[in-house]
Amino acid sequence: MRWTLLVVVAVLALIAGVVLGPAAVPLSELLRSDIVWNLRAPRALLAFLVGGSLGVAGAGLQALVRNPLADPFLLGLSGGAGLGAVVAIALHLPGPWALPIAAFVGALAALGLVYRLGLIGGASLDPRILLLGGVAIGAFAAAITTAIVSLADAAELRNAFLWLWGGLSGASWDSVLLVALYAPIPLAVLLAASRPLDLLALGEESAGYLGADVEAVKRRVYLAASLLTAAAVAVSGVIGFVGLVVPHISRLVWGHRHRSLLPAAFVGGGALLAFADTLARTVVAPRELPVGVVTALIGVPVFALLLRRWTIA
Amino acid sequence: MPRRFLFAVLILAACRPDGRTAGRPAQRIVSLLPSFTEILFAIGAGDRIVGRTQWCDYPPAALAIPSVGDGMPPNIEAVAARKPDLVVLYNSGPNVTAAKQLERIGIHAVLLDLNRLEDLGPAARALGRLTGLEQRAESLATVLDSLPRQPPPTSRPSTTLAFIVWDNPPIIIGHGSYLDQLAAQAGARNVFGDIAAPSAQVSLETIVARDPQWIAVLADSAAPPAPPAFAKRREWRAVRAVRDGHFLLLPGSLFGRPGPRSGEAIRRLRALLAGNEMGAQHAAPLHEAPRR
Repeated sequence: MRWTLLVVVAVLALIAGVVLGPAAVPLSELLRSDIVWNLRAPRALLAFLVGGSLGVAGAGLQALVRNPLADPFLLGLSGGAGLGAVVAIALHLPGPWALPIAAFVGALAALGLVYRLGLIGGASLDPRILLLGGVAIGAFAAAITTAIVSLADAAELRNAFLWLWGGLSGASWDSVLLVALYAPIPLAVLLAASRPLDLLALGEESAGYLGADVEAVKRRVYLAASLLTAAAVAVSGVIGFVGLVVPHISRLVWGHRHRSLLPAAFVGGGALLAFADTLARTVVAPRELPVGVVTALIGVPVFALLLRRWTIA
Repeated sequence: MPRRFLFAVLILAACRPDGRTAGRPAQRIVSLLPSFTEILFAIGAGDRIVGRTQWCDYPPAALAIPSVGDGMPPNIEAVAARKPDLVVLYNSGPNVTAAKQLERIGIHAVLLDLNRLEDLGPAARALGRLTGLEQRAESLATVLDSLPRQPPPTSRPSTTLAFIVWDNPPIIIGHGSYLDQLAAQAGARNVFGDIAAPSAQVSLETIVARDPQWIAVLADSAAPPAPPAFAKRREWRAVRAVRDGHFLLLPGSLFGRPGPRSGEAIRRLRALLAGNEMGAQHAAPLHEAPRR
């Protein structure tokens, strides 16, 4: 029942993303319209894939660091991606994909540094240090970014921040294909770690006694979640809130078993972002809202409602 | 309207009877907006400018003046180090704070509005008063005043364009901006003229649906003119003007700021549109994209 409802909501969100938009496309021409085929359809699909990836990445990271505040972007990735984008603009890197690639590389560099910091106490990855290191590296990258923006001459550098919060405007079949080929690998890694993630909730020691290879699981989960987020930021910038609130909502409805929690977070995150993006494009048309605004405006009330039901019950 | 009122108040506040403005014309001026630098040169006060922003690149003589940085926000110490008796700033939030700080250390600071064509005349007159060059400023202001009043070449422009400021997310220029006026005076219609704001984020599909004939982009003056990078992105190919390569690459130094050369900018844009129209007819695409 829960699953049917979730899938119906997701399908409705995708249909709405294709049918609704600021430009008037008559229903009879829906299947022939260039706007629908080349703009709306890839954008709705990209929103779904990115939202789903962020949802799963958030669920995985929250289980890993055992902190309900963990968000995929908390671990320094947005700072690294922003630095990459600014460097690409400052160096006038040519080509239509220069910015996304540079942002991806920047996010990977931040990921590497945070990972290295997490291992600082020895061979064991310390989740608390991961969190602190993520915040620190993110702040450091943001500081360098701001320094470059304020010192360099190019006026367009200021637009790098626009790009970083750009949302799904850059969606095309190319980016959909890219994410569709890339995301399944880290998603599969996370899903395969479902059982050990359940055990991790009992504490690392207990999880170890119950047969989980704690060190390997922590590394795999951290890397897979971060790689998902790095790809998301490269194709759609920083979209806040999906990775924080969708896992919580899914946990309230589906419980703490990751085998069902992770798929639910994927479909739920995808549906939320696809729906939020449709609203972002249409409610103030012909203007457009940043999609992060809408995800927060929808996500918080839903979350509050569920939290209330859950605590009363 | 409130802004205009604020502007008047600020001018009044700036011209308090402290003896410095009313009596002696400014001799050492720091100009913190490229447009002010151009106006000061145009009224013959160019040799009194002792500081400029790094963006002030016209007239060429301006480049010889020491730069005090990007002016966003102004570096107060760098400005003060030039020992000015007048600093002119663009009227914006951060600059109001900067002007107060300058006044506190005894440097006369004046905030001027310069957002649209009709602000040019008043700005020129204000700078004339401050420099004691009222007559030359008045003759410049008279010419500039006539710019927004000149009727566009045709009352119902057939040529349409969209100004793209940034591609991801797409940011366009709306009605409340100088560039929108420039297009109207050049005989073109901004397809986003219904958006009241100076600039706004829109969806790509809105640009496709409004189907401008031309995509205008402000080009970095230093860089060689080339179509913007987004022209190669797949999602932008849905815009007909992008597919057809109908770009107007406008040097930012001339087109991006209201100033004494606004008339020239209008004429250049008009010529560009007329020339391109002939060129476009010449190179009519063999298969027109299906129009809705």
